[in-house]
Amino acid sequence: MRHAKTVTAPQGGERAISRRRFIGVTAGATAALSFGTFIRSGLGAAKVNVLTWSNTLPAMDDVLREQAKQYTKEKGVEVSFEFINQTDLPTKTAAAVESGAGPDIITLWSDGPHLHAKALIDVDDVTGPLGKELKGWTNIAKDIAIVGKNWKSVPWGIIPICMNYRTDWCKEVGYTKFPDTYDEMLVMCKKLKEKGHPSGFALGRAIGDGNQSHYPILWAFGGAEVKKDGKTVDINSPGTAKAVDYLRQLFKDAQTDDVLSWDDSSNNRAFLAEQVAVTANAASIYWAEKKNAPQLRDVTDHALFPKGPAGRFGYSTAISLGVFKFSKSQKESKAFIKWMLEPKQYSAWMGIGEGMMAGLLNFYEDDPVWKKDPKLEVVRQIPKYVRMPGYPAPPSRPAAEAMVKFVIVNMFARAAKGMSTAETIKIAEAELKEIYGKA
Amino acid sequence: MEQPGYRTGEPWYKRFLKSEALTGYFLISPAVFLMLVLLAYPFVLAVYISMTDRVLGEPGSFIWFGNFLKLLQDSLFRQTVLNSFIYTVATLSLKLFFGVILALLLNQEMPARNLIRGALLLPWVVPTSLSVLTWLWMFDSLFSVVNYILLGLGLIQKKIPWLGDPFWAMVSVVIVNTWRGLPFFAVSFLAGLMTIPKELYEAAETDGAKQFRQFWHITLPLLQPVIAVVVLFTTIWTFADFQIVYILTHGGPINATQIFATMAYDVALVAGRIGEGSAISLFLFPALLIVIIFMLKFLRRE
Repeated sequence: MRHAKTVTAPQGGERAISRRRFIGVTAGATAALSFGTFIRSGLGAAKVNVLTWSNTLPAMDDVLREQAKQYTKEKGVEVSFEFINQTDLPTKTAAAVESGAGPDIITLWSDGPHLHAKALIDVDDVTGPLGKELKGWTNIAKDIAIVGKNWKSVPWGIIPICMNYRTDWCKEVGYTKFPDTYDEMLVMCKKLKEKGHPSGFALGRAIGDGNQSHYPILWAFGGAEVKKDGKTVDINSPGTAKAVDYLRQLFKDAQTDDVLSWDDSSNNRAFLAEQVAVTANAASIYWAEKKNAPQLRDVTDHALFPKGPAGRFGYSTAISLGVFKFSKSQKESKAFIKWMLEPKQYSAWMGIGEGMMAGLLNFYEDDPVWKKDPKLEVVRQIPKYVRMPGYPAPPSRPAAEAMVKFVIVNMFARAAKGMSTAETIKIAEAELKEIYGKA
Repeated sequence: MEQPGYRTGEPWYKRFLKSEALTGYFLISPAVFLMLVLLAYPFVLAVYISMTDRVLGEPGSFIWFGNFLKLLQDSLFRQTVLNSFIYTVATLSLKLFFGVILALLLNQEMPARNLIRGALLLPWVVPTSLSVLTWLWMFDSLFSVVNYILLGLGLIQKKIPWLGDPFWAMVSVVIVNTWRGLPFFAVSFLAGLMTIPKELYEAAETDGAKQFRQFWHITLPLLQPVIAVVVLFTTIWTFADFQIVYILTHGGPINATQIFATMAYDVALVAGRIGEGSAISLFLFPALLIVIIFMLKFLRRE
């Protein structure tokens, strides 16, 4: 049968609709409807979409949601936040950069502005006035966000990493204050381990904690992966050798063997389970104790990373906000970012975090949040000491690659597992030369 | 006899529109379209990208096989190749061995057979990422329930650093991959077993063949096509595996479990070198292609 079937209404007499006609009309209507939506979204009021990470502390995200609503009400620009897992950010950012479509504002991780500079607009007209109004930007803010001559993103803050330690156990071995140098720290941690309280610095594939614990050790002993030019690999130096020797000793005398398998959450769990006395972390442990282990809150304190022969260093994740070139609401996006970083909004957000985040404008070093709890007082100093992988060169693609490939962490991990200092440095040097050679 | 589509007097276009060949093409066109858009295009694009020095957001230039040659010099990549082979061969042999045993067991008469067969599929049905997260907790350095049990039973004296030691980390990912893939093997083999005619075994028994000889001369040869297909697919899947390793070890410690997909992810998406990342993921493609052609030829001959 090749006749078009007709669908007849049950009670005859009414007009029959042919199937073909039905399909035609439905398709037409659908097309018209979706076109209407398309037109509306394209031509309607400006809308700003922000893609960011879901904070370890959900309360901080709630503040952002509230602020977005408030902003919409006050300025008539619709702002919406999308919160995704931190580990999904690189993938989503890559997809947006490649396809030229996605959110207007993107949250960039540490070296992100350098990696994606070509996809981002200059934001000097945001960072300039903010710097002028709020006592200028910290050095680390400039390091992460200025690419060439221009600001490619607006520094939003760092997740300050510091030493987290048990005051009661340290007191047992004779320390009322956290040691100020790495050598003293080794002595104390050794005594702690002898008492059954080892320390722990992640040596596994903990992209955050592993790198954040070990780059500062490398720098503090005078080592560096590359020279200031950002091209000449410089890992094979007496400074690096000293750092590696130190770490091997620290691992053997003072740490738990488990650190070799630690991921980013292991040290939090180990500290909360009272398995380690000292670890490097953000204030998130202190925060978790509030809910899960209030008895530990009294005996937990924070300290700056110790000094080495070459000085005091830290490496904390810095986040910044960039605006994509493909965004149709660039002006609105920049205005919103500026508004977010103004004291009224920013203090509210940072204040809820109580040490989870630290601002990168000098003004925020004196924020009231730092007076709330003496145990968080040191956190405000951290931005001063923070450097990024690749130091003393500016952040770059090869530096980022070396970091995600765990070149430095693995160099230390091999030493901890017993490899000689010269050999493990040689492997790291070969890996770094491959990575920097491609640039 | 009048053919509806070729009635004379109809204009040429109507005849054309009514021809059966055209209807045929029309009907398969959605499938072809999907194949082109969802399979062929990304694949060709990936091949192209793997031959460029493209980084995120920049076009890059065409460098032929430059990425592949550079990878051969890369010590980390060489380790990745080795790891991938160990991972694939180890999991494949384990799954093959236990898969056949499991299938033979399930083919026996037993109470609640269907229930057991169904339950067996669970590891295969549960989303990989979820079940692997559970394994992650079971292998946790501090709270490993596996260590707890082994210590309790007195089988080990010291905690095993499941994910912390290069050797044990590889053992862990192999265990989890085997656990997850075994049901697929067992059920596929079971389906193969059920098609083998009973008469063959009866005849063998009359001839005095014992169980092992029956297995060797009847079961195994007749199961061969199923085994070939399962092995073929699993080889490809395992070489492209991502979730298990990414969640359990993220390639560590000290790159001991770094495999193609995890390294490609780190290089392409995190470090932004998508040209090189594509080259990593496509590196084995020629080798796999040869395996596929060989296997398919073998199957057709069967």
